Amino acid sequence: MGFWLELAASGLITGGIYAVVAIGLNLQYGLMRIMNISHGEFLMLGAYLTWLAHTTLQTNPIVFLPVVALALFVLGLVVYRLCFQRIARTAPAVEVIEARSLLVGFGLMFFVQNAVYLAWGADLRGYSFMAEPVDILGARFMANRLLVFGVAVAASLGLLALLRWTMIGKAVRAMMQSPTGAQLVGVDTGILHPVVFGAGLALAGVAGSLLSMVYEISPSMGEPYTITALIVITLGGLGSAIGSLLGGFLLGLVEAFGMHFTNPSLKMVLSYGVLVAVLLARPRGLFAR
Amino acid sequence: MRFGGLIAVNDVSLDVHAGELVGVIGPNGAGKTTFFHTLSGVLKPSAGRLTIAGDDLTGCPPHVFAAHGVARTFQTPRVFREMSAADNVRFGLEFAGRLRRHAHDAFDDVETILGFLGLAQVAAVPAGALTPARQRLLEIGIALGARPRVLLLDEVAAGLTHTEVDATAQLIRRVRDELGVAVIWIEHAVRVLMDYVERVAVLHQGVKIADGDPRAVARDVAVIEAYLGEDGEAQRAAA
Amino acid sequence: MSRRDVSLRSVPTALGATLLCGLALVTLPWLLSDFLLALALSCLMFAALAVSWSMFCGPTHYLSLATSAFFGLGAYVTAWGLESMPYGMAVLLGGLVGAAFAAAIGTLVLHLRGAYFAVITFGLTELTLHSITYFEKSYANTAGRIIGNAPETPLIYWTVLAVTVLSVATAIVVRASRLGFALRGIGGDEERAQTLGVNTRRVKVIAFSLSAFFPGALGAAMAVRWTYIEPLSVFNPFIGFQTVLIAMVGGAQTLIGPIISSVFFSLLTEFLRLRFPYAFLLVLGALLIVLVLYLPGGLASLLTRRARSHA
Repeated sequence: MGFWLELAASGLITGGIYAVVAIGLNLQYGLMRIMNISHGEFLMLGAYLTWLAHTTLQTNPIVFLPVVALALFVLGLVVYRLCFQRIARTAPAVEVIEARSLLVGFGLMFFVQNAVYLAWGADLRGYSFMAEPVDILGARFMANRLLVFGVAVAASLGLLALLRWTMIGKAVRAMMQSPTGAQLVGVDTGILHPVVFGAGLALAGVAGSLLSMVYEISPSMGEPYTITALIVITLGGLGSAIGSLLGGFLLGLVEAFGMHFTNPSLKMVLSYGVLVAVLLARPRGLFAR
Repeated sequence: MRFGGLIAVNDVSLDVHAGELVGVIGPNGAGKTTFFHTLSGVLKPSAGRLTIAGDDLTGCPPHVFAAHGVARTFQTPRVFREMSAADNVRFGLEFAGRLRRHAHDAFDDVETILGFLGLAQVAAVPAGALTPARQRLLEIGIALGARPRVLLLDEVAAGLTHTEVDATAQLIRRVRDELGVAVIWIEHAVRVLMDYVERVAVLHQGVKIADGDPRAVARDVAVIEAYLGEDGEAQRAAA
Repeated sequence: MSRRDVSLRSVPTALGATLLCGLALVTLPWLLSDFLLALALSCLMFAALAVSWSMFCGPTHYLSLATSAFFGLGAYVTAWGLESMPYGMAVLLGGLVGAAFAAAIGTLVLHLRGAYFAVITFGLTELTLHSITYFEKSYANTAGRIIGNAPETPLIYWTVLAVTVLSVATAIVVRASRLGFALRGIGGDEERAQTLGVNTRRVKVIAFSLSAFFPGALGAAMAVRWTYIEPLSVFNPFIGFQTVLIAMVGGAQTLIGPIISSVFFSLLTEFLRLRFPYAFLLVLGALLIVLVLYLPGGLASLLTRRARSHA
């Protein structure tokens, strides 16, 4: 019993991270059609920031989380203003926005990865934090993983609550459903777009920060998470934050159990197989109405 | 035609004969455009059959409809914006038109079609740069390029002045007269069609409520009530 | 395009010009040093990749990231088959495998558009990569393959040159043909094209498949440059990214854009690698962003702008 619980839990824990990353990307794409393929790089930045603060200033990573979120939010505003705003303004059609933002995303991906590589080299870095085992219901977990799970879920639920109950959240959802209608009732895309973009990056940074508490970090750690986020968004449906939450957990579980029953090296085959299968069967997402 | 729980077009049958000019009218939401979508293969009907000149086309994809001579215009002109007006018309000729090579001799090339529509001088202009009125004419030109047997016109007169409607209608009559093409013409209000078509069918909430001579239909009680249901605005249009 | 700018009259001229350039380029192995020849080879390869990508994705506005899959499959045709067949045959077979694979996945995924299509082609490429990795590990008990009896560099060069010339010629012919016209219609308004008699499903699969022949052939041809290949190097998604970048920066709607762009990128990458060995991706990334933001029509639009200002 304990074993299955551990397996399921480890799937949910990874799934929680996937969900946080995916929700951020989902908002960016769902609202602005920006395919930010560099999303994972900002996760990596969050990880590096936390590691840096912990090793040089001895800050507590949990306490530092809000700082990471804020820093990446501001960075997101800047990145949006410099790199993406112009595309939205000058592109003649939605497909063009997607294509151009994809290319800009690649540029950002190269830029950020290389910058970090220049600054800290390609070696794996890391630190140890709350690495004590905890026993629950006969299953053994590392305290830091439980923490990561808890914070990830809290962040996701917090965001969902924000979307559902605050004015800003409603504005975002309105814009996603009907851009013209939303603008007619006074939603200002000039403010909303950068804010949502920043929020997306902030979420990625938080995810990265959490990951740094458990795993080692490297400049190339971000890419796989971007891919996974894409898979999760596909599973959960574009524009559906709750879909991303559920999809993230689902993917985490599929990976955990799949790896156990088949072969760890089939993990990637599974993930991409799931992606392709879902896109073929239900392109709007598993949870779409 | 059923969309989930909504029956958009319910058991509507329409027989059109070669060279007939038929109007289809009805208040908003009557299901006219949906009806057209099923007639051109864009939507597969949930039930019923579509035959043209004896060939059963039910459930076939749009290009098969086109190959059998069904051509249509769209309510909001859907032209190939990046291509020139001439290329837009050429498109129909190259594909569906090629399959129907011996159907008509009169409109065999782009220049003739453009000339017929009064678009000869804008032949090289990108379609996206044309005025909406010209784009509407181009829509007809594109449909003609496909050498149709049946032409489906979706609200080509919407928003036009009386003189413009008259000009358009004359054009349509000429298409029918010179090519022997059957025309099914959707409009919102019967007054527009009345002087030009031989027969009118009326759709209301997905059901056909009248079918016959335009004048008789305009006086039909059920038709007037259907329009009256649209808070008097349409009453003035139908009267 | 505001007019059908490649009329049938100019196709023979364009083909002739292509052939002449090809013949001129045949002489390079005797004129250039090894280093420059390798550079020329890389230019040619990317030109062929970008031109064949634009053949389908240019007019239809699809964003395919499947190029790496076709390339990798071609490479493995050589890896598995070079022992038992001549080099030229392997290249041809690589192309056919690429085309067949494209036809297969095309029938499954070409109904998707935009970002969905991009993501699924990317996913399929990765799926192919990981499947082959798994297959090789489990059944062939190996991580990579050694390529023995590789042909001499000039022969590789001439083979790649032939594939490139063929890709440009095919692109010229397609653009002027009904297939090209249909593709442009699909790119303009797919549903509209259907109502005008185009069987869009079939057209897309044929064109996609045709365009995949070239990356497949190139993969098979280039595989011999690496004496040891493993899935990650030949199914490297970067190949797909770079193809898309080059094609779009050049102007995917045009013929000459991707060609100029590939030369530009190959030279630029070499220069950056020499000048900024550790920061080359940084500079490339920044350049890319600037290009996309301020020259959205691609490099080809620079040419048309110049032409217009002289007119």
